[in-house]
Amino acid sequence: MQGRTNTLTVDQQKGSVSETILEVSNLKMHFPIKAGIMQKTVGHVKAVDGISFKMKKGETLGIVGESGCGKSTLGRTIIRLYKPTEGSIHFNNQDITSVSEGDLRKSVRREMQMIFQDPFASLNPRKTLETSIMEPLKTHQIGGQGERKEKVEDLLNTVGLDPSYANRYPHEFSGGQRQRIGIARALALNPELMIADEPVSALDVSIQAQIINLMEDLQDEFNLTYLFISHDLGVVRHISDRVGVMYLGNMMELADKFDLYKEPMHPYTQALMSAVPVPRKKGYAKRERIILSGDLPSPSNPPKGCVFHTRCPAAMDVCKQQVPKFQEVQPNHYVACHLYE
Amino acid sequence: MEELLRVENLKTYFFDKKKTIKAVDGVDFAIKRGETVALVGESGCGKSMTSLSIMRLVPAPYGKIVEGEIHLEGKNLVRYTENEMCKIRGNDISMIFQEPMTSLNPVLTIGEQITEVITYHKRLPRKKAVQQAIELLKLVGIPRAESIISDYPHRLSGGMRQRVMIAMAMSCDPKLLIADEPTTALDVTIQAQILDLMKDLSKKVNTSILLITHDLGVVSELAERVIVMYAGQIVEQASVDDLFEEPLHPYTQGLVESVPDIDAEIGRLNPIKGNVPTPDQMPEGCRFAPRCTHAFDRCFKEEPQLLQKKYGTRTVRCFLYEDEEKGAEHARKDQYSHR
Repeated sequence: MQGRTNTLTVDQQKGSVSETILEVSNLKMHFPIKAGIMQKTVGHVKAVDGISFKMKKGETLGIVGESGCGKSTLGRTIIRLYKPTEGSIHFNNQDITSVSEGDLRKSVRREMQMIFQDPFASLNPRKTLETSIMEPLKTHQIGGQGERKEKVEDLLNTVGLDPSYANRYPHEFSGGQRQRIGIARALALNPELMIADEPVSALDVSIQAQIINLMEDLQDEFNLTYLFISHDLGVVRHISDRVGVMYLGNMMELADKFDLYKEPMHPYTQALMSAVPVPRKKGYAKRERIILSGDLPSPSNPPKGCVFHTRCPAAMDVCKQQVPKFQEVQPNHYVACHLYE
Repeated sequence: MEELLRVENLKTYFFDKKKTIKAVDGVDFAIKRGETVALVGESGCGKSMTSLSIMRLVPAPYGKIVEGEIHLEGKNLVRYTENEMCKIRGNDISMIFQEPMTSLNPVLTIGEQITEVITYHKRLPRKKAVQQAIELLKLVGIPRAESIISDYPHRLSGGMRQRVMIAMAMSCDPKLLIADEPTTALDVTIQAQILDLMKDLSKKVNTSILLITHDLGVVSELAERVIVMYAGQIVEQASVDDLFEEPLHPYTQGLVESVPDIDAEIGRLNPIKGNVPTPDQMPEGCRFAPRCTHAFDRCFKEEPQLLQKKYGTRTVRCFLYEDEEKGAEHARKDQYSHR
């Protein structure tokens, strides 16, 4: 109870200054499937299929879902690594849906940065830390050589690495240290929004906790906004203010984390939560486990109606024909399910 | 319960040009018939090498079991020749790996791969072997088993592939099933299905399971007893209930506290500081001492031994528990420091 009241006051403080930093409406990202000698388009993978949400400055929005649900594509589309098929993305009240590459570099890319899952694959093995971290500064022509060096030292300090490491190469570091380097590079341009795509999934639990704490500290220090994408419901609960649950390219539920974890409304969210194995502790009551039958359908040929109806334990006739609306059923609690219509 | 497997003072080393890497450094444990034991630890702690040693699959020529004994029903597997081991693998002991795609052969059908095991160990004619393969696939919950059997692995999803692996592993009713991170590559809803399946099967055929994982949630779901490894050694051994109720070793405590709770709100995570030591730079004394919040002078000089706790069947490798009284005192202090 204590925790809850604390967070509410923090929210109110944020509320007084908070403004919408990101608004995504009806975002769709379809990838064409090409086949044959003529490379004709024979279908589409509907990775993201109509998602809308808003993010406030300084908040952390967690996105959870299983592999193939489109959560990574969502992150990459927002930062405009892809050109969306439909819908719009507004960042700081500017429409960035179809801004050209060059213009993106001038404004958006400075303010939006990304942290990737695999800290080894995302660092160039032939570049020293200094070169890697300095690269964004060079691209955006910030400061002279001396200033840049200072900035790199600062950044290394900020993420808890020794500045004397600047001339070393990525292979000399462990997974956790590499993820710190990735974070330092993302911080180099003082971004406002950070998209973190499974930033701790490749790390051991003890290291994972270190990185989560670091990300929380950085958020306080630089007033960062996080879009935190992960499949780990425990980690997402810990770091997020609000959580969205995705399934097959759609947002199924979006709510304040307290409401979502206490009372998940969508049958998919309920099943997902119950499937997580939890270390038993004294006085811990086991959740009733809901085991979903079957596998995730293919996103190139999603089921008609509600995309979840093929595996849903509460499916009705209407679910097979009509797509449920994503609507607010309780204050700030959005669900896409016919049960609540 | 009768004892099935006993590992004694197992040492598996790797020899580089100049360095010796002690991947497994003196591990002792036993598994009873029908029991599920979890081997837990972070990457590089030697848990996978322990299981490969039991299977006698340590990558040669760099790796070698240099000392120790592995007894399966009284027979010492370390002395076995490669030919003799072939009769054990897949028959008495079988293994499931983490990544089902890389451990299935992509150019052979599912049926060919399962029947290979059956015809080799049971010497059944092909028709009967196919019949049995279909039954196995049904047993692990694969729909349309008759048609799936002539499909290739790439046609199946990750969860289905893992089911096929389990069917293959169970085909000769093994006495011991080693599952090396069986659900790590799977989504949570699929993971729940597979864990359920493994629980069912171990009950049905009374197979012992050695579960190797880093996920404490999976441990509490499946295992009865837990062995925690750190830097090639066992640091704690306890029943699942005891371990989560009162982890004794500072490393286990840190591990439990590092995991964010899905059911409760915690202010801030309490991670273990520092990194796992690399095998060629093992610290002197207690291997966990440089990262330990309770470490005192002695920890940096002397190596602690595994201690049998007086009550129950727990063991722990830590100086804090040398004296039960002292241990209790520290535990009390601990509680205060956490608040």
